[in-house]
Amino acid sequence: MDYVIQQVLNAASIGGEYALLALGLAIVFSVMGLVNFAHGELITISGFTMYAIFIFAAPTSAWGLLPVGIIAAIAAAVVFERVAFRPVRNAPATTGLLTAFGLSIVVKNFFVSVVGATRPRAVPTPDWLSSHIEIGAVHIQTLQLLEAAVTAVALMALLALLRGTNIGLAMRAAAKDFNTVRLMGIRANQVVLAAFVISGLLAGLAAVFIMARRGAVDPFMGFTPVLKAFVAAVLGGFGSLGGAVVGGLALGAAEVLFQIILPESIAGYRDAFVFLFVGGVLILRPQGLFGRKHQFGDKEG
Amino acid sequence: MLVIDQLSVSYGAIKAVREVSLRVEKGEIVALLGPNGAGKTSLISAIIGLVPASGGRVVLDGVDITRRRTEDIVRLGATVTPEGRHIFADLSVGQNLRLGAATRRDRDGIAADTERMLAMFPILRERFASRAQTLSGGEQQQLAIARSMMSRPKLLMLDEPSLGLAPKLVEQIFGLITELRTQGLTLLVVEQNAYDALAMADRAYIMNSGRLQFSGRSEELLASDDLMELYLGTGTGVHAGAAS
Amino acid sequence: MTALLSQLGLGRQSLFGSLMLAALVVLIGLIVMAVAEKAQIRVANVFFVNLILVFGLQITMGNSNVANLGHITFTGVAAYVVGILVLPLAIKATGIPNAPFGLAEVLIHFVPAAMIAVVFSTALAFITGLVLTRQTGIAYTIATLALLVIVHTVLTNWVDLTRGPIAMYGIPIRANTVSLMLIAGACAIVARLFRDSRWGLQLRASGEDVLGAEASGVSVRTLRLVAWTLSGFVLSIGGVMYAYMVGTINPKSFYFDAVFLTLAMLILGGMRSVSGAVVGAVIVTLGTELMRWLEGAPVIFGGKMPQIFGLTGFFLGVVIVLFMALRPDGLVGDEELDEMARRLWRERRTKGAKEQAQESET
Repeated sequence: MDYVIQQVLNAASIGGEYALLALGLAIVFSVMGLVNFAHGELITISGFTMYAIFIFAAPTSAWGLLPVGIIAAIAAAVVFERVAFRPVRNAPATTGLLTAFGLSIVVKNFFVSVVGATRPRAVPTPDWLSSHIEIGAVHIQTLQLLEAAVTAVALMALLALLRGTNIGLAMRAAAKDFNTVRLMGIRANQVVLAAFVISGLLAGLAAVFIMARRGAVDPFMGFTPVLKAFVAAVLGGFGSLGGAVVGGLALGAAEVLFQIILPESIAGYRDAFVFLFVGGVLILRPQGLFGRKHQFGDKEG
Repeated sequence: MLVIDQLSVSYGAIKAVREVSLRVEKGEIVALLGPNGAGKTSLISAIIGLVPASGGRVVLDGVDITRRRTEDIVRLGATVTPEGRHIFADLSVGQNLRLGAATRRDRDGIAADTERMLAMFPILRERFASRAQTLSGGEQQQLAIARSMMSRPKLLMLDEPSLGLAPKLVEQIFGLITELRTQGLTLLVVEQNAYDALAMADRAYIMNSGRLQFSGRSEELLASDDLMELYLGTGTGVHAGAAS
Repeated sequence: MTALLSQLGLGRQSLFGSLMLAALVVLIGLIVMAVAEKAQIRVANVFFVNLILVFGLQITMGNSNVANLGHITFTGVAAYVVGILVLPLAIKATGIPNAPFGLAEVLIHFVPAAMIAVVFSTALAFITGLVLTRQTGIAYTIATLALLVIVHTVLTNWVDLTRGPIAMYGIPIRANTVSLMLIAGACAIVARLFRDSRWGLQLRASGEDVLGAEASGVSVRTLRLVAWTLSGFVLSIGGVMYAYMVGTINPKSFYFDAVFLTLAMLILGGMRSVSGAVVGAVIVTLGTELMRWLEGAPVIFGGKMPQIFGLTGFFLGVVIVLFMALRPDGLVGDEELDEMARRLWRERRTKGAKEQAQESET
């Protein structure tokens, strides 16, 4: 029983991380049709900012690094939008995708060449994040519990925003018909900005958890989590917010499951199995679990 | 209120609107008529800034809005109820109306206007919490107009408000447009349904192939079968034709 | 021959254009051989392999106008297959003694080995294409990426067969500048003829208007599958040539660095034309060499798939971002160079004729 609970929590925390990232991808995509391949770099920037503060400001407690990481991710998302994505806002989807891909390369190599960081550098996170708590007979990692909880809270807050505020409603409306949203006098830039701020915030939360787990930064740290998030988003139906969450959780569950059932000798192939599994699902349901049936000529290009 | 001077719109090599000039005075209902593909929707889109003008000027209440952003033009008091009822399908009727008033900060005023719209369109009150997607075509058109009204525009441009509606509903919508004018609104109505539009409008412009071909008083057009035939391809038989 | 060409919807212009392009590629090779020193020859060899890869990428991405980020998969598979088949037995005995299927005892002549590798990898392209072409738009792009990761995972983990993350060395060097430039030229012809063929034309039309193409009775999925498989074929050839050029392969050579290097080449030149692939490959190669020189690294990478370091990578990323923002069609754009030349020539002639006519009037 203990084992089952731990594995479920394991799946929930990994899945939660993917869900946070996939949701950020889905929000930006649904609002402006952009496939943000540079999403992973938000994590990297967040990590390196925490590292820089740790080195230069030498805070007495690692506590302060957490908000720094989150704010850095939000700021980076906003700068990305302003500098790289605004010029291609009305361009075909492929143009935006390649822009993001190029941006991701720029940021990675910025850290490689300017910071000169090819090997991982340690960044501390508060001790309590890596501690354990006992609930009855069950031994639980604080980090995992927190991750699952924060994901749940962030999702609820997002839901409230999308249901109950003008900007949230405008974002949902813009997903289908941006021009009509502008006819309401709502500024396009504000809607896009909101989407990026939210995606940055979600990526920042994920980044903090990733940092707590890894304890170190390197220029390529954002790649794998975001690749997984992409797969999760496609699994759920790209652009569908609910799909992103379900896809993230499902992917987390699949990973934990494969981790358990794959024999030691082929454990290295776990990701290959997970992706093949997702590929199998997509053969049966090309539009993903929650996606609408794809219409040619849609935003997806 | 609205002065358009030599306005042109191009999509690549295709010239959709060629040097069109027209005026709409305060309190008027002006009909913009012409066949499908005449450039009417392009003209409206250029006025409201959704497509860039390739030449000419648009002046609203003395302010040059030719290169302004759509959202800024809307804030200056002009708006468009788009063709094909671009309502926000995923949002409820109430949320649609709420977004219509997104630029306003006067809570009481918004509440009063919502009430006014619901009184004017009782069906919207009935369906207030339903997703807009579930509304019928006529109901969606009513929602689209009500939503435009929520921003308290001075100039409302309606793009094909009768499109795809049953004759009875067309009559109702056009009756409503006339009523809106009595509340001080200025209206520019784009229509293919020439007869009904002329019956309601003070003046009319006729476009074809991107050019303005006629401008004059509605009665003038209605009274002359020749003009109707010449510009709109419809003679005396129109009445029956348009109504069917 | 002409009957076959017209069957494919190809005219004389396409044939002429493709031959011109191949001649251009060969000419680059000849110039390099005439003037270059040894280190520069190595750079040129890498250039030709990259050029083959860019042609392969152009076939899918340029015609269907959907980003493909997994193309290097087939390069890697072909390179490993050929490597395993031609690796001398003595090296196999120490490197991969436990290779499955008795491959540790297999040694094949380098030509049939190349053929087997290309057929195997192209077949893999066809099979994966059956699944991939069910996807459209973003899902397709992500799927190509997932394919890259899956195959990379396999190459890295199947230690018995590939030596895993450790380089597989000792593959006999069989490629030189002459063979590389000739094969690159041949691939240019393949890419150009496909572009101009009825299939290529329909596919490009579908990139702009899928609904319209479907309505006219063309199955876009089938077209994409054809392009994907043909692209896999060209990329496999590139993989074989790569293995024969450097003699040492490891999974990292067929991962993101290679993906975005070739992507940057194609984007800079312009993905809609095959000429763009050539132009982009030339400029990016010169640019990366310059960057490498600026970074102070001597050309010791010559002969290897260039490893991307900070400044070079930064430069490539900036190229992609700037071109997407300012010139998304690349330097060359929609027209092939010969088409452009012909159009300009014709315009000049009609203009000249007009002027003459005006003169004779006065």
